[in-house]
Amino acid sequence: MGSIIKPYQIAIPDSKIEKLQLKLSHVSFPGQTSFSNDRKYGAPLDDIKRLAKFWQEKYDWRRVEAELNKLPQFTTTISVDGHEDALKVHFIHQKGHKPNSIPLLFCHGWAGSFLEVTKILPLLTSTSSNDSEEPTFHVVAPSLPNCGFSQSTSRPGFGIAQHAEVCHKLMLQLGYDKYVTQGGDWGFLITRAMGFLYPNHVLASHMNFILSLPPSPLHTPLLVLQYLTGRYTPAEKAGLERTQWFRNEGSGYSQIQGSKPHTPGFALADSPVGLLAWIYEKLHDWTDKYPWTDEEILTWISIYYFSEAGADASIRLYYEILHPATTAEGKAAPTMESYMKWSTVPLGLSYFPQDVIVLPSSWGRTLGPVVFEKRHEEGGHFAAYEKPQLLVSDLRNTVQKVIGR
Amino acid sequence: MADIRPYTIAVEDERLKDLKTRLSLAKFPDELDEAGWDMGAPLADVKRLAKYWQESYDWKKAERELNQVPQFVTNIQCEGFEPLAIHFIHVRSKVKGAIPLLFIHGWPGHFEEVLKILKPLTEGGDGVKYPAFDVVAPSLPNFGFSEGPKKRGFAMEQYAETMNKLMLKLGYDEYVTQGGDWGCHISRALAFRYPKYCKATHLNMDSADPPVFLKNPILALKHAITPYNSREQHGVTRSNWFDQEGRGYNLEQSTKPQTLGYALADSPVACLAWIYEKLHDWTDAYPWSDDEICTWVSIYWFSTAGPAASVRIYYETAHNVDGRKDKIDREKMRSWSPGVKLGFSHFPMDLAVRPSTWVRTLGNVVFEKEHGSGGHFAAWERPDDIVTDVREMFGKGGGAFGVVRGVTGYTS
Repeated sequence: MGSIIKPYQIAIPDSKIEKLQLKLSHVSFPGQTSFSNDRKYGAPLDDIKRLAKFWQEKYDWRRVEAELNKLPQFTTTISVDGHEDALKVHFIHQKGHKPNSIPLLFCHGWAGSFLEVTKILPLLTSTSSNDSEEPTFHVVAPSLPNCGFSQSTSRPGFGIAQHAEVCHKLMLQLGYDKYVTQGGDWGFLITRAMGFLYPNHVLASHMNFILSLPPSPLHTPLLVLQYLTGRYTPAEKAGLERTQWFRNEGSGYSQIQGSKPHTPGFALADSPVGLLAWIYEKLHDWTDKYPWTDEEILTWISIYYFSEAGADASIRLYYEILHPATTAEGKAAPTMESYMKWSTVPLGLSYFPQDVIVLPSSWGRTLGPVVFEKRHEEGGHFAAYEKPQLLVSDLRNTVQKVIGR
Repeated sequence: MADIRPYTIAVEDERLKDLKTRLSLAKFPDELDEAGWDMGAPLADVKRLAKYWQESYDWKKAERELNQVPQFVTNIQCEGFEPLAIHFIHVRSKVKGAIPLLFIHGWPGHFEEVLKILKPLTEGGDGVKYPAFDVVAPSLPNFGFSEGPKKRGFAMEQYAETMNKLMLKLGYDEYVTQGGDWGCHISRALAFRYPKYCKATHLNMDSADPPVFLKNPILALKHAITPYNSREQHGVTRSNWFDQEGRGYNLEQSTKPQTLGYALADSPVACLAWIYEKLHDWTDAYPWSDDEICTWVSIYWFSTAGPAASVRIYYETAHNVDGRKDKIDREKMRSWSPGVKLGFSHFPMDLAVRPSTWVRTLGNVVFEKEHGSGGHFAAWERPDDIVTDVREMFGKGGGAFGVVRGVTGYTS
């Protein structure tokens, strides 16, 4: 079983870097207007110009690559029912210091990557010096298929369940029969699916991005009552406003990716600046004043640009989520809503105020047995990257409630 | 008028070279097997078109052909904005009593869409058998060869103001419009703002809401009790398809046009795919030639304001950026416009295909025709139908006959 797992080092060919340089040297920007830097319209022109220039002239991918290659990276192949027999999956795998470390699957989302685990990795695999009672974790953080340095998938219908299958089989390959999960963005849906599909393996799930079904007069009348009488905390009310903003002003990318992903795919594949703007807008809007350096931004984007599957492949998952495919046996794949029904897996929920969907706590409690819940006063969508200490603390608290250590 | 100058499209050689260079550097996605059109523009099509555009397509030839039509440019200034050079086609009929008709394109359309109906309306309309028209077909601000505003807030009010000022400048105290897509919305804005000048609008898009009892009791009752005819039934399916699967571009352009703009400005392939998907999905099996598509997209790529500018109209219409009162928003455009005669040509593969009771909430509908085929770009796909319908609406016996004071379209 271990023989297909190989150590991996990122090694982007020179030709790819040269092509990027060539394209950046030919970049053509939209014309300047008095509102080119008004964020409400999208990524500001001055920012994108500055970042494109930095990317072309100063950004040193080889140095970044060397830094990333200090992380313990591997690849393996995984078969997926109805899809590839040997899908190449790239992942970080770092063992915890303690012998009884708990296996943890960290599942990234869009527009993130395996990079999102890098700040919490040392915190999870070792203990803070004061408290040697804290559990440590064996951390597994894959590049999801079609992202980072994992292979692209070739057939339609590679949806949430297939991603869950990949993550689960990865854990089994590594010898982790039982594990906990951590995720946000797609990671929410994928880890929920893992809980439904592999309930005997998922010990607990911690999420920092919580989707739940809205109150329904039929199923959750008390939640409807709460909604109508406005009995929410100020933080919950602010969360609903934030969610409304996201729905009204921040969801265009999601709607186009969820309906016609191939069309913007051409833009993301062909124009580095197009890709930069598409993602950078989110890195700003979805975070809580995170002080991105230009190098950080370009590294996040370079992971997409240099990805194995191409920058365009990752967005197809939005389409798959909204168009559940019918299996060969004629069975309909689960809808997104089905992952928000009650699950028996113990849950830890962390609400960060500048995330993009921030729902009331009572809604989150319809997802399953919530053993730990915290509503933070700072932090956004990429919680593991923005607030690593807070996230790790919440994760440890969740696990302690379930495993008792 | 001294400042209406003749215009010749003349894209500089460096820009043509730049386009070819960019196309030669194009990097394409991989694509899923079996995806077809469901997930967006297919890879094989876009690759083929990009190759054709780079290696075989002759812009200069297309430019020469476009330049055979009389074009002009003039400065038009809206209140609170800078003057913009507005490009337009203008053909006057030989018939003295010709009706002035303003043809307004939409997105991703342009002034070229008028070309197939131009001669029939201005020359085929002989003033005896058929009514004659003078036709004005501008490039909207931020489109084609017109300039675009550098200030935020250029919305329906400003588009209408620009169009109205253009017609008045050309000596047309009263006029009618023909349009779909934004041409429909801007016609609605003209009807609300300038009913004194814009006397009638012929529309080929059904942007309307269902009648509500409090506002339109008779229509609401009719809608409630009369079953949909087959066109209307099919329209439900088509309109639902568009709402569920076809509006992603609209939401992105309405909320983050600047973000999208970087790709459109930097990559001709991005521009090609973004537009070509609509040329396919929004038409009724129209047999686009590669030349047609390349010309269509080239007008965006070589536009004066740049391809990134064209999508801003969505944002500005959806947002009230300066807190103006009486903003012409979606709700306003779907309300009753008094004093202006309306005509509708319904095409089954348009994007909003609504029942007759819905469009009759918009105003005094004096003409309505259903067609068995055709889509969103009606003047391009079904020019004969548009010409026939316009002649019928404005000609003798038509619901809008004589709507423009002093000119009936016929030789007196």
